[in-house]
Formats: sequence, C-alpha cells, structure tokens
Amino acid sequence: MFIYITKRLLWVIPTILTVLLILFSLSYLLPGDPADIILGPRATPEMAEELESRLGLDKPWYQSYLLYLQNIIKGDLGTSIFRDRSVLGVIAEVLPYTIVLTLAGMGLAVFNGISIGLLAANYNNSYLEKFLTLFSFITASTPTYIAGVLLIVIFSVNFNLIPSIGIGEGGTLSSLHHLIGPALALSVGWTGYIARLTRSSMLETLDQEFIQTEKSFGIPRYYILYKYALKKAIKPIIAVIGLGIGRLLGGAVFVEVIFNRPGLGRLIVDSVNERDLPLVRGGVLVAALLFVIANLIADISYAYFDPRIKQK
Amino acid sequence: MFKSQKFFRFKKKTIRVIKIMKKDYKAYLGGSIIMLILISAIFAPLIAPADPYETNVAKRLEGPSLENLLGTDSLGRDILSRLIYAARPAVLVSFGGIILSLIIGIILGLLAAYVGGILENLILFIFDVIRAFPPIILILVLLSIVGPSLLSVVVILGVTIMPRYGRVVRADTLSEKEEDFVEAARSLGAGNSRIIFKHILPNIFASVLVLSGMDMASMIMWEAGLSFLGLGLQPPLSSWGVMLQESYQYIQTAPLMIVWPALAIMLTMLGFSTFAESLRVALNPKLNQEV
Repeated sequence: MFIYITKRLLWVIPTILTVLLILFSLSYLLPGDPADIILGPRATPEMAEELESRLGLDKPWYQSYLLYLQNIIKGDLGTSIFRDRSVLGVIAEVLPYTIVLTLAGMGLAVFNGISIGLLAANYNNSYLEKFLTLFSFITASTPTYIAGVLLIVIFSVNFNLIPSIGIGEGGTLSSLHHLIGPALALSVGWTGYIARLTRSSMLETLDQEFIQTEKSFGIPRYYILYKYALKKAIKPIIAVIGLGIGRLLGGAVFVEVIFNRPGLGRLIVDSVNERDLPLVRGGVLVAALLFVIANLIADISYAYFDPRIKQK
Repeated sequence: MFKSQKFFRFKKKTIRVIKIMKKDYKAYLGGSIIMLILISAIFAPLIAPADPYETNVAKRLEGPSLENLLGTDSLGRDILSRLIYAARPAVLVSFGGIILSLIIGIILGLLAAYVGGILENLILFIFDVIRAFPPIILILVLLSIVGPSLLSVVVILGVTIMPRYGRVVRADTLSEKEEDFVEAARSLGAGNSRIIFKHILPNIFASVLVLSGMDMASMIMWEAGLSFLGLGLQPPLSSWGVMLQESYQYIQTAPLMIVWPALAIMLTMLGFSTFAESLRVALNPKLNQEV
C-alpha cells in the first residue's frame, strides 16, 4: 500500500511539470501576437516591448520557461492584464466559492444518491425499484448545465423559490439560499450514479452468506439492512467520492456561468474570452492541481476501500 | 474450416447478445431514441415543417401554436425545425469525435502493449498529462488556441477523450497477449499483424464498443456545453448548444424556449446511455450486478 502511494505521488511530478510546460507554451500557441491583442491597434512599439518583457516573450523560450518555473515555485503567478492585480490574489478570492460549491454538490449527491439506492435495493424487483432505476438513469445522464437551466426555469422563474443569480449579500442564510440551486444542479449527475452504485452494491452484499446467517438468527430486517449490509456496501461508494469531486470541479464551470456566481471555473472562461494570458495560465494551473489531487485521492481510496480495482 | 468455426462463434455470440437485449426495456428505449435522432439528422429537410434559418421578426418569441408547434425564437425562427436540424451537428460531432478517438486510442494502446519499454511509458505519460486537466478546461484552452469550428470541436473532443480508449486497449491487449490461443497462433507461424487483427482486436472490441456508446453521449454533452459557453459551434448554425445559448438571455421572459433544446439534449444522453448500458450487460452477463 505504501509503495503504491509513493509510486503514484512520484508519477505526479513529471505530469505537473509537463502541464506547466503546456501552460507556458500557450503564449506561443494562442493565435495573434499577445502584445497586439492586449494593447489594441493604437499601441506604440515601446509599449509592446515593455509588455513583451513583462510577459517574458523577449527571451529564448527555455530561458523564459525556467523563469516561469522559478516564479511559480516562489508562488508568483504573474499579474492579470486586465484586472491589474496579482493572479494569485484574483484566484484566492474566487476559489473558496468553487470549493464550497463542489463540496455542497458532492454532499447532496451522496445523501440523495444513497437514499435512492437504498430504497431501490430494499424494494428490489418492484415497480418502485423500476421507477427509481429509470430515475437514476435519467439524472445520471443529465448534463450539469441542463440541470441548472431547468432548475432556474422551474424553481426560479415559475415558482420564484430560489434566486437565479449571484451569491447573496452578507448573512449565512442568504448565501445558503443562493447555494441551493447551484449545488443541486451540480449534484444531479452524481446523484444518479451513486444511486445505481448503492443499489448494486447493496444487492451484492445482501446476497452474501453472512447476511443469510444473520437472517436465520432472526435479526430484524431493518437492522440487517442498515447496520450490517450498509456498512459493507458503502465502501465502493466512499471510493468514488474522490473521483466525483474531480468531476464536479469541471461541472462547476457551467454552474458558475449559469448562476452567475464567482468561482474558478467562470474565472477561466472569462479569462479565455478576454485572452488574459497570465490569468488563463494561473487559473488552469490551479484547476489542474486540484484535479490531480482529487484523482490521487480517488486512486488511493479506491485501492484502500475496494482492493479489487487495484488488481485491474 | 477454422474460418467457418470462427464465424459460427461470432454469429452465436451476436444472436445471444440480441436475445438478451430483446428482453431489456432499456435497449428499446435507447434504441428508439437513437433511431429518432439519426432519422432527424438524415431526413431533416423532409421532416422539418419550416426553414430553420428563415427569420421573421414580426412573430418573434411566440409560444407554441399550430403553425409553429414549439413556438418561435428571438428572430422568429421555427424552434421545432431548428431542433430537428440541430441533430446534424450533434451526430457529426459524436460520431466524428468517437471515430477519431477510437483510431488514435487503439493505435497508441496497441503500440504501448506490443512495443513496451520507453515507448509504452511515453504513451502512458501522454495519457496522464491529458487526464491531468479537468476535461472541460482542457477543451476550453485548446479551443481558444485553434478557434471554434465544427472541425476543431470534433478533433479536440476526440483527443481529450482518447486516453480512455488507449488505456483500455493497452490493458486488454496485455492480458489477451498471454492467452493460449494467441500463443497457439504464434506457434503456427502467425505474424504480429495477423495476431493483432485476427485475434486481439476482435476480443477487445466488445469493451471498446460499450465505452464508445457511453462516450457518444458525452460528446454531444460537451459540444452543446461548449456552444452554450459561446466557444463551440457558432450561430446562426442550428445546434442544441447554440439554441441554449441564444435562449438563455430570455430565460426570465420566455422560459419555455430554453426548455426544448434542454429536453433534446437530455433525451439524447438518455438514449445513448441506456442503449450502451443494455449492450454492456448483454455482452458480459457476468457484470450484471455491477453498475
């Protein structure tokens, strides 16, 4: 187990370095001259030169790559072109919103998913189970942005129950109220997935001998279901949570755009549209780091909770 | 004789798969949705009641009526006709993207499993780098480099999703390579290419097929999502994502308008995923209990 984790950790380092190289090469790959795009047509050559040296474009590429790496190690991600602030500051300001949103979405998905899955497993082969299975299929295949749009149409436009934009002003209650829609939209896809996982894992566990033994001892059904079976069946579900957090980070991009919330995803979309290169680089780097960490946790928790996976 | 035996086995397997799928309501549900989309994509000009590009500002943002069954959009275009025509880019993107990622993924996966050594590590490393980005963010950045168009969306989606196939093909090839029948074929003097095409590819095809059925849905999802963000297909082209984007600004005043493309995308996703699920169960009945 220890060797497995060490190996996985070591493998991450070259991956991150290559990610950095790709992000660095963006300044050469993006169409058009960066100085032109940023300064507009009325820029003087001096202004362009000044900007190019600020972006490190006047040196050979390997030198500026090393400079870029050095700055990153120092924690300096550069300065946003249009916001005139440090990239790190801009990201630090919006990141908590994305993290809260992702965790809230995952929490909802786990809670709702397990409840639906348990219900389906408990009433196996009934019409309720058929309905719940179809329901989990539909939710599992609903893209985040569709869920968001439909939630706004139904609960915000029609019934006026939840706000459709922003994060609310002040108070915890207001921000919670503004979080309901986005978190629900984000959770929909994984609710279905976790429901299906719970159902199959429960059915598999209920089929095992120790459950039969407990039944023959006359232990009450609900006791077996929630105390013994769930304890064992929940392992593969815990194992996928890490994976899910990574996925939801991606889904947060859409939710933040649709519900007009600040966050890392919307920051990246905006900066790509504005061609704010340092901000694109910084935002994507942070997103990739979070994603890699989530995947790392996913792999390790898989190996820990569901050893069958590791053998594959 | 060997050939006829092999054909018989293949036929038997196909018959068994169809037999299992016939009993599964998911196969019917998914199959009919996929058929519906394919038919609308191919015969769009015959089915669509109106020209999807004909604007009529006099009757913009109208609700459903007999003339425009699903109403009209902000430029007075018939929404139903636009929905039907939008099946075209959806089918193009999903099939194009999948075929591209299948080709690259299978070649890289086979190379990794067969050549081994540095090349294998390099290929696995490329896969890992691609997978280090959240897919949507990688797609966004790549699209900003090459610029949005149907072709670039197809290529970028194909490349982003490719590592999945590469990894599956590599893993399956590694285990198939050790099987007795491959050993037997080799001892009879079969070369590498013969072993790959006659013995390994047909055996790993099942898992790749199921995966690609599920990914077709994701392709449509990404395409619509990107167009929704304004970075995929561009208006005035009829695409579900473009329609979402156009009607998003009217979500408070004409909320029904955004519901139609949203339902179309949901239905498509449901169709592909239920069909793929049914196929997966039928191809590998042992997996029945797993998700």
